[in-house]
Amino acid sequence: MEAVSYTAQWTAAARALESERTGDAMFEDPFARALAAPRGFELLDKYGGGGLIPFIAIRTRYFDDSVDTVLRDGDVRQVVLVAAGMDTRAFRLTWPAGTTVYEIDHEALMEEKRARLSRLGGRAAVERVEVKADLARDWLPALKRAGFDPARPTLWIAEGLMFFLTEEQVVHLLRTLGSASAPGSWLAVDFVSKALLRSPFSQSFLKGLKEDGTPWLFGTDEPEDFLAASGWKVRDLREPGDPGAGEGRWPYEVQPRDRRGVARSWLVRAEYAGS
Amino acid sequence: MASAGIEEIRSWILSRHPERDDVAPDENLIESRLVDSLSFVELVYAIEGASGVEIDFDNIDIRDFQTLSSIEKAFFAAV
Repeated sequence: MEAVSYTAQWTAAARALESERTGDAMFEDPFARALAAPRGFELLDKYGGGGLIPFIAIRTRYFDDSVDTVLRDGDVRQVVLVAAGMDTRAFRLTWPAGTTVYEIDHEALMEEKRARLSRLGGRAAVERVEVKADLARDWLPALKRAGFDPARPTLWIAEGLMFFLTEEQVVHLLRTLGSASAPGSWLAVDFVSKALLRSPFSQSFLKGLKEDGTPWLFGTDEPEDFLAASGWKVRDLREPGDPGAGEGRWPYEVQPRDRRGVARSWLVRAEYAGS
Repeated sequence: MASAGIEEIRSWILSRHPERDDVAPDENLIESRLVDSLSFVELVYAIEGASGVEIDFDNIDIRDFQTLSSIEKAFFAAV
C-alpha cells in the first residue's frame, strides 16, 4: 500500500486503543483493531509521543459530533469523506434516513478496507458509496459520476489530511470543495499550528514522518483567516482539551490563544459562505 | 549543589511523570519522552517562572533544553 495508507493504519490503531478503554471511551470503533494491521500499532509506538494517541481519539469524537450536529440541525444529507482512510463512520454512526456517504480514497486502500470489513461482517448503516480516486488529481468528476449532487448541501469531512499537503494544495482543496458546495454546506477539518511544525521538540517526530515518506508540511496559526480566504466561515473552533473536545482526557494544559510558539491542533467546523 | 530553580524544573517534570522517581542531570529529556512537542511550551513557562528569564520562542536553541544540566547552565547559571 502507499505510504499515506500507513498513516490510516496508525489512526486506526489509536482508535482501537480508545475503543478498548473501559468506562470512559469517547467512541467505539469495533473494526479499528482489524483495520490497523499490519503496521498501525508499530507506527503508533514509533510516533506515539506528543499526545498523538489521545489527540486522534479526541479528533475522532469531535468529527463524530460534527456529523451529528450538522445533520441534525440542517438539510444536509450528503456527506463526503475526503481521504477516508480507515474511517468507519458509515458503519458505526446513526444516520438520518436518506443520507448518502461518499468515501474517497485511492483504489488499493478502498479494496483492502472493503475486504477487511466484509470479513468482519461489517454492514454500513447508511447508503455508502466508494469513490476510488487519486486526491492529487482532479477527483470531482469521479465523485459526481458516483452520484454526488453539487446542487445539494454537503458535509465534507477532511480529517487528519491537511498536514500532509503543501499550503498551495490545501488552498486548492478548500476551493475545490467550495466549488461543489451548495448553500448550507459544511466542512469539518483539522489543522496543526505553524509552531508545531517549527518547535525543536517536534523535530524527531517530524523527521520520522519524513523518512517514512509522509512528511507534515502545512500548519496555520490563524485558522479562521486562512479558511475565510477560501470562502469558509468558521462556526466552531476548539483545541484538544477544551470543553466539547476531550476536556479531562487531554494530558496537557490548553494554552491561551495569545501565547506564541505553542504547538497546537485546531478542530474546526466551517460553513461555506461563498468566495 | 543544584540551584533551587533547577529543582523546581525537576519537580515539574516528575509531577508529569508519576512513574518516575528521579531525573538524572544528564538524562536526555526529549529522547526519553519526558518532554515532548506539546509539553515543551509548559516547560518553557516553568523555566521562565523559576528563573525570571524571558525566553524568545523564535530563537530557541534545542540544546539548551536537552537535559536538566543544560537547562541549568542556560537559565540558572550563578551570576
